[in-house]
Amino acid sequence: MLAADAANPMNVQVLPLATAVGVALLTVIALSVLVWPKIAKGLDERNEKILGEIKAAEDARANAKAAQEEFERKLIQAQHDADAMIKEARAQAQKAADDLRARSETELADLKKRANAEMDAARRQAVAELEAQAAELAVSVATKILGRAIDAKDQKALVEQSIKEFASTGR
Amino acid sequence: MMTTLLLAAGDDPLAHVLDRDSAITVGGTTLPLSVISLVVGSIVCIGVLLAAASRISTGPSSEGNARYVTKGRIAQVVEVLVLALRDQMLVPVMGERLAKRWLPLLLSLFFFILTLNLFGLVPFADLQELLHVVAGDHAAAEADVAHATSSAVYFGGTATACFSVTLGLSVISFFAIWIQSLRDLGVKGTLEHLCGGPDLVHGPLALWLVIPIIFAVELAGMFIKPAALAIRLLANMVAGHTLMAVLFGFGAAVLKAGGPAWAAGSITLVAGFFAILITFLELFVAFLQAFIFMFLTAVFISLMAHEDHGHEEHGHDQGHDSQAHAEPAPAH
Repeated sequence: MLAADAANPMNVQVLPLATAVGVALLTVIALSVLVWPKIAKGLDERNEKILGEIKAAEDARANAKAAQEEFERKLIQAQHDADAMIKEARAQAQKAADDLRARSETELADLKKRANAEMDAARRQAVAELEAQAAELAVSVATKILGRAIDAKDQKALVEQSIKEFASTGR
Repeated sequence: MMTTLLLAAGDDPLAHVLDRDSAITVGGTTLPLSVISLVVGSIVCIGVLLAAASRISTGPSSEGNARYVTKGRIAQVVEVLVLALRDQMLVPVMGERLAKRWLPLLLSLFFFILTLNLFGLVPFADLQELLHVVAGDHAAAEADVAHATSSAVYFGGTATACFSVTLGLSVISFFAIWIQSLRDLGVKGTLEHLCGGPDLVHGPLALWLVIPIIFAVELAGMFIKPAALAIRLLANMVAGHTLMAVLFGFGAAVLKAGGPAWAAGSITLVAGFFAILITFLELFVAFLQAFIFMFLTAVFISLMAHEDHGHEEHGHDQGHDSQAHAEPAPAH
């Protein structure tokens, strides 16, 4: 009977219809109870795991970025500190050099002044000695020429004359 | 024997496509192949999905990160299908709330119909007929091919190429649509929907004249939509299989016309090549029709929640749960 009815594709037969409804409902119920919750749980857990891993990776990346920024900040600070130290050292060295130069110049000036003074003293002493020797020589010469001793007054006049002559010669 | 098979194929292409009696009799009633296919399809569908579910679900913590990995190709295919249907199709169309509510039904319908469609691609019935002809009385088989084959098949055929089966599946969609409507809209809301919506019902009296017409159209639509689902699935499955049967029937037609055997064989070879191509098309159609049945059911269900948004927009809230108002409007 069924085979005969099946000749028309649009024939509706009760047995396949009822079976389709019943079996499909049983399938839906069985899958809803046994399969879909399990699959949904697995997919949700995987999703949470992936999201968690992504979040952890993002956190790690943020931490690494913060650490890098901190490192770069400290590096820049260290460079600034080093620059400041070098600058200060240069300033100190320059100051020390300036002090040393000033002290040297002072000492040199003192030395020069002292040498000049000594030279003046020596010159004056030499002149005095020369004057004394010239006086003695003049007296001696005059004594010999005059044949007599000259007194103090003559001596003085002779000395002064000799000095004048000595000075006029440019010596 | 070859001649017998060719003649058997060429007798009536539809006879190989449409539902027919199996060799199984229960309580004096011969069971159609579609019934056997439904039961076997259900068992296989549940079994395969159960195995896939155990592979998709998270394993023991001792496996480390590997416990989150789906093992097995079938399980991976199931996972991809479930994710694509849920996240790319159903949730965008229905919204989170409706999708969560109807996902088990819709996914079950999809995989059940897909299993039945795929069963139809495997020539179980034809193989049994072949074995029967090979092992049985060759002369008797040639004399009454139809009788010999119909009584020799225990399982096979395409259940979704039977209108009774597709109608039965659409009955489930029909009730799902009504349940959604009555649950979300209530009896009054459903009646308002059938009468054209609250705008029309609460609108000017002059518009009430069209309400009976709209009511008749909408009420008919509530039956036509599931019926269209049934006919669409049936037509697509029958068409593909009929095309295959016709292709294989060319050789028999040559024999019947008194042509030589080599010509029939050559034509059968060429037709077989095209049949292989058609088989790939049918594989695609098997997935496509299962998807369309499920997707249109989802669309029809989401249409029954559409009044929520209309009420919200026009200040006619009937006290439905607040979560419904947070959903995006379903696509139409």
